Parts: sequence; structure tokens; C-alpha cells
Amino acid sequence: MSEEPRIVDGSRVLGVVPGKPAVGEEKIPARQRLVFVWPHLLVRHAVASLGVLLFVLAVSLVFDAPLREIANPMSTPNPEKAPWYFVGLQELLSHLHPMIAGVLLPGLIVIGLVALPYIDRNPQKRARYRKVAVWTFTLFLVAWLAATIIGFAFRGPDWTWVWPWNGWYGEL
Amino acid sequence: MKPTVTERVKETTVGRSIFRVPDRQTPRERAEGHWANFFLHLYPVKIRREELGFRYSWYLGVISLTLFVSLIVSGVYLMFFYVPSPTTAYGNIQFLQTSVPFGQFIRNVHRWSAHLMVVAVMAHMAKVFYRGAYKPPREFNWVIGVVLLVLTLLMSFTGYLLPWDQLAYWAITVGTSLAAYVPFVGKQVSQLLLGGPQVSSATLLRFYVLHVAMLPVILVMAIVIHLWRWRKDGTLDPGGELDV
Ligand code: HEM
Repeated sequence: MSEEPRIVDGSRVLGVVPGKPAVGEEKIPARQRLVFVWPHLLVRHAVASLGVLLFVLAVSLVFDAPLREIANPMSTPNPEKAPWYFVGLQELLSHLHPMIAGVLLPGLIVIGLVALPYIDRNPQKRARYRKVAVWTFTLFLVAWLAATIIGFAFRGPDWTWVWPWNGWYGEL
Repeated sequence: MKPTVTERVKETTVGRSIFRVPDRQTPRERAEGHWANFFLHLYPVKIRREELGFRYSWYLGVISLTLFVSLIVSGVYLMFFYVPSPTTAYGNIQFLQTSVPFGQFIRNVHRWSAHLMVVAVMAHMAKVFYRGAYKPPREFNWVIGVVLLVLTLLMSFTGYLLPWDQLAYWAITVGTSLAAYVPFVGKQVSQLLLGGPQVSSATLLRFYVLHVAMLPVILVMAIVIHLWRWRKDGTLDPGGELDV
């Protein structure tokens, strides 16, 4: 016996049974034990936070935000590009009907994302036990990345294919 | 044991006036202290050790949050020098860049934080997906996350118009032209967004109000709910593949 039996106020010790507790020893692996958020998590968050902030400040010292000529509704630039996070849709727009690429697809993406946890009821969390989910998500991710990169860096006047080293039309 | 510097400071008259309660020593006291702290109340008191590491979240949630705070701080500074009208907006930005102390720098911070926040939020979502952290009991926090993603995109998109340069004007023209293809009510949606048949002074005002008032308020509320759910869902339940 390592520990003295503890007597709580208002209780009496009737007897002390040596050995293990009847319910079995609780075995929580070290990585699942609870630790205090302060300081353990908060210092890490502070470091991550300051790191990002320093990065943004450094980038802002080196690169200036773009400012083109004043808006002119009479003069349409060519190419005319959406902000980078929508340029993937714009790329699809050049292949599909606008109703599909511009309305149906974004709508389905949002609905699909919202529904994901209710469709995927597989309780497994490791990638190798949830191949379908991981592959589907990865497929969409890669397709979206590809469309975005193509639209951003590989499209020039009239949305024609332009290699980035032959002409740069991406704007941030 | 010799008292540390902090302990000695806390013993002084000033120290005692600042630190209302004596040092919390036992785990129970520390937990109570955390719980009672206004600034920490969106955080859990304790988490599983594995959640501390970089591998678990890549800290992308906190990184998104940091960028959002950076956007609020820099954005408020920009607001002092900006009037949302086609006759003033562009000139305001030029003046900001050439004549306002730190104007160009703060504008840069706002612009780059905005782009980075979109990247960080998307990466956070992907990380949560691959860790399987959208599974019960976290399904609804994932849904709130999707709302946050949409709001983040809208924040970025509405802000993009404000400099009123060629880049802004035509990017928003392309983006909003899609609204016309919404079935049945396309015209009305387009009208609602633009305040007219094309991007104009009405659009600028609408986007400005959305960008500095409506969307930030909604986004802050959604983030608060997101963090609250994270606290509630988190403590005992495994949150990803690292626990399996
Ligand atoms: C404004 C954007 C967002 C902010 C500021 C934000 C912030 C956070 C923070 C601080 C955490 C705590 C853990 C961590 O640091 O990773 C977290 C967890 C989480 N986030 Fe987000 N988030 C955002 C968007 C999203 C999106 C787009 C999704 C998914 C669609 C999402 C889903 C989740 C889930 C499911 C958790 C719980 C993970 C766990 O407990 O293991 N969040 N978020």
C-alpha cells in the first residue's frame, strides 16, 4: 500500500482492502492526459500568434499593396480576373455554362461541406480506415487547387493559355 | 526556497493592488483561476496533452484568429482616412500611401493579412478534415466553420472593391456578374448586391457597410460560438487521428 487511506469528513473507514480497484486500473495514455491550458497551450498559441504577426509585418515592409489607375467603367482590362480565391470558379466558367460553374457548383460545394459530417458517419479517424472520405476530399482539393492556379497564373488576354514566364497576369 | 522575482513583485503594495488574489497553487485553485478569468473564458481549462503539439492542428485556428485581429487593428486605422464614394475613395488611398504616417505600411498589413487569412482558414479546414476532427461530437462546429469560411470570403471580397482602382472595379464586376445566373431571381440578387445594373457608387457604399459593420460583427459572433464549441466538445473526447 503506497497511500494512506483518506478519511473524508463524515465518513468512517470500515476496512481497507489491499490490491487493485474493482473497476480495474484506469489506463490513460500519456498523450491523452489532461494538462492545464495555462501555461502549456497558451504559450504555444502566443508563439504561433507572434510568429504570424512578425511574418505579416515583415512582408508588409517589403511588398506594397497594389494600386492601379482609378476605376474606369469605360475601359475593361484584358484579362479581367476575379480575386484569386474565386479565380478557380472563373476558370471553370470558361469551360461550363455559367449557371453550372457560377451558381450550381459553388452552392453544391457549400452544401456538401455543411453536410459532410452528417454523410460521413464512419467513426474511424485514421486515414487508412476512411479511404473513401479522404480520397474524395483530396480529389476535390486538388481539382480546386489546379483550377485556381491555372486561372491565376496561366491565363492571359481573352482567357487564353499563357505560360507564366511568357506573361504574368495574376493580381493580388 | 527563495522567492522568485515575480513573487517578490506580487508582495509589494503595488503588486498586491494588481493581483487581486494570492497565488493559486493547487490544481483546483489554478482551475478556478482560469475559469474566473474573462480573457480566458473561451479557452478550456484543460486539454489533452497531444493537442498541444504542432502536429495536431498546425496551430491554424489560432493563426486564422491572429490574422483576423491584425485585420481589425489595421482596418480601423484605414477607416480614419477613407470615405466610401467614387469621388473620394481612390484619392483617399493615394493620400494614405503618400502623406499619412505609416499609411502605406498599414495598408500593406491589411492587404496581406486578408489574403493570408483566406489561406489560413482554408488550410485550417483541410487540417481539421484530415485529422477527422469533424466527427461526433464536433459535427456542428464544422458547420459553424463552413459559415466562418463563407464569411471570410465575403469579407475579403467586399474589401477588394474599396480602393476603387481598376483592379478592384473589374474583379468585383466579374465576381458579381455570376449573381445574374441565379435561377429565377438572378436579376433581383444582382440588383440587391450592386444597387443598380452595374458596379457604381451604390455598390461601393453597400460593400463598405458590409465590410466594416455587418460582416465583422457577424464574423466575431460566429468565431465566439466556434471557440465556445471547441471548448465544450474538446476536453475529454479524442479530437483526431492522433488518439486512435
Ligand atoms: C474565421 C475562421 C476560423 C477561425 C478564427 C477558427 C478558429 C479555431 C480555433 C482557434 C480552434 C481551436 C483549435 C485550433 O487552433 O486548431 C478551432 C477548432 C476547430 N475548427 Fe476552426 N476556425 C475558423 C474556421 C473554421 C473552418 C472553415 C472550419 C471547417 C469547416 C473549422 C472547423 C473547426 C473544428 C471542427 C475545430 C475543432 C477541432 C478540434 O477540436 O480538434 N474552423 N478553430
